[in-house]
Amino acid sequence: MAKACLTRSTWARSRPVEQGFRTSAQWYDGVTARRHEGEAEWDGSGQLLLHSSDGQSTAVALEDLRYFEKRRDSLVYARDSVADFRLVLPADLPPALDRALPTRGEYGAWIDRMGLGKAIIGFGAISAVAVALFMTAPEWLGPRVPVSWERKMGDAMIGNFGGRLCHTPAADAALAKMQDRIDPAAGDIRVGLANIDMVNAVALPGGQVLMFDGIIQQAESPEELAGVLGHEIGHVRERHVMTALLRQFGLSILLAGANSGLGDTAFGIAAMGYSRDAELEADAYARKQMAKGRVSPLGAAGFFERMAKESGEGESPALIGWIATHPSSRDRAKAYRTSATEGAAYPPVLTKQEFAALKSACKDDPDVEDFDFF
Amino acid sequence: MDDQDGASAFGFEGSWREFAPIAFTNLLLTIVTLGIYRFWATPRERRYLWSRSRFVDENLEWAGTGKELFIGFLLVLLLFALPFFVISQVAQALVMRGQEALGTILTLGSFLLIFYLAGVARFRALRYRLSRTRWRGIRGGSDNQGFGFGLSYMWKTLVGYVALGLMIPWSMTSLWNERWGKMSFGPYEFQANAESGGVFARFLLFYLSPLIFFVGALVLGAMGMLAGFGVGGEEGAKIGGFVSLLGIALFFYLGLGLIAVVFYAKYYREVVGATQWRDIGFSFEASTGDWIKLLLGDFALVVLTLGIGWIFLSYRHWKFFMVHLEARGEILLDELTQSTTRTATHGEGLLDAFDMGAI
Repeated sequence: MAKACLTRSTWARSRPVEQGFRTSAQWYDGVTARRHEGEAEWDGSGQLLLHSSDGQSTAVALEDLRYFEKRRDSLVYARDSVADFRLVLPADLPPALDRALPTRGEYGAWIDRMGLGKAIIGFGAISAVAVALFMTAPEWLGPRVPVSWERKMGDAMIGNFGGRLCHTPAADAALAKMQDRIDPAAGDIRVGLANIDMVNAVALPGGQVLMFDGIIQQAESPEELAGVLGHEIGHVRERHVMTALLRQFGLSILLAGANSGLGDTAFGIAAMGYSRDAELEADAYARKQMAKGRVSPLGAAGFFERMAKESGEGESPALIGWIATHPSSRDRAKAYRTSATEGAAYPPVLTKQEFAALKSACKDDPDVEDFDFF
Repeated sequence: MDDQDGASAFGFEGSWREFAPIAFTNLLLTIVTLGIYRFWATPRERRYLWSRSRFVDENLEWAGTGKELFIGFLLVLLLFALPFFVISQVAQALVMRGQEALGTILTLGSFLLIFYLAGVARFRALRYRLSRTRWRGIRGGSDNQGFGFGLSYMWKTLVGYVALGLMIPWSMTSLWNERWGKMSFGPYEFQANAESGGVFARFLLFYLSPLIFFVGALVLGAMGMLAGFGVGGEEGAKIGGFVSLLGIALFFYLGLGLIAVVFYAKYYREVVGATQWRDIGFSFEASTGDWIKLLLGDFALVVLTLGIGWIFLSYRHWKFFMVHLEARGEILLDELTQSTTRTATHGEGLLDAFDMGAI
């Protein structure tokens, strides 16, 4: 049984060769576990002759060999043409044969070709760029998210607010009138009123803007609200919303859409942070649009002054405004105040009745639900 | 091949000095490739460990590649992780839109599927390892896909937990038997007839543990308070009591861990000892003390090197395995022909995804 046909490789009769290198060798044929022992002979050509101790010889083309691994004192080669064939040669081969044999791999083909040092530097550089791209993804990816995609997310989020939006015919009309003064072109931005007792307003993806009831209640004039609305519309127009969402919740939000659990908590959206630059841009947009629509910026200035007083910011140095991501309310108030044209006549944004309708919208809407954080 | 009396049939000839350059370059390359090199690091490590492991008169070989591990990982990502993510999102959306029942069913269903796949993954990981292990040019494998084993894994694990977990030893041994019974090396199949009776006594220690803890807690607590009282009166008693509580917590974790090791050492001796390959029987000689030494060594190595020693754990574990593994019996080399099992072209992706050990 021991001498059964060993391999599918070529067979040759043992032929005496005087010159040439001979070394002890072992090989397995990949068919049985029997070990073949004998000598490997190399005459400088492109093949090795394996002389088995029982007198058989096998020719193996060098280019058919593939480096497999290094053991402590030996090298192991496989063959491409014969599965699981293994040739074990001593590690101290003459340099000429060593060069003729396939090169030894260690780390994997790419890295072996490059060399370890270069590979580490190269991969390190690529990884650094990848990490940087990933970390800055909100900034460059946010404005590039397709509008239709953004709109779908916004619709889903509004859906999660459910019946907590306050609607009365008078309030809806007042909101629409205010929006028309600031952003007359706006057919694509939808403004709503949410029954949430927080002094806040948010811009959702897809051009949805929500004013919270809390900010409506504390407003002393419709011009204040116009300033806030202009600011939020500014975020929409300057395409800050996706960037802020990406910053807050990571790239997963693009996959998860509105179902990542953030949509159902207004808290999550209210906590959404814009960069300092984005806030200033939105403010600038609001002032520009208010000037165009002849809306007095003094209301907004008054609002920020009140915010500054409430947070005790009045005494802190203005320098903080440059450090904190959020521009200081005091600086913002000043910017609004100085943007007012002296002696200009600003027609009121809303009539007294319209302003009152806004204030009582959430009380008057019989179907609206209360908002609970938990 | 003759029965090797005296000398062990398995041996390990590696040294950590040879392993260190492999482990450190692997770590470095894994870091600079943000983890992607891991798939190539694993076969590099295994090629070394296998090549320094001897069975009778020839060393083992690891023939697995990084590429196939990478492909396996991608397949799992595509076929399981992505659908699972989508399903969980859909379920969440359903619950939010008032379809609680449907959403819950979907979530439960996907968890059942994961449970099932965990079983399939355990099977396939073993199959993969055998199919990539060469000895004298011969490999192992299995023609079974492991889908049936996944079902067995589900129901046997569940049955194990009914009756206060009394059936766990049975489920563990019978799953071992089922898994190994479907594996082969060369032309011969493995056979495993492990019995739960042998490990049942040690398993009962888990039930004694609450009692031991209770008594231990009483004694420790009383001693601590008394000692504290002796030192500092009422105040001292409070502090002493607090220290005792800490001691009890420590005792609890260490005690439970110790029972687990006591059980597992016996379990491993039982299952390996009941495994046969043709005329060769295996045994595993590690005592509970050996296991404890291994784990304490692991702990010391990782802590004293501030975590870097972690890269040597695979070396230590493989060495432990090879040093304590024994085989007895004989096999005719001429009859030991190549395995005819199909080899998967991808690696142990599933198991990687579930992050489980192999042996």
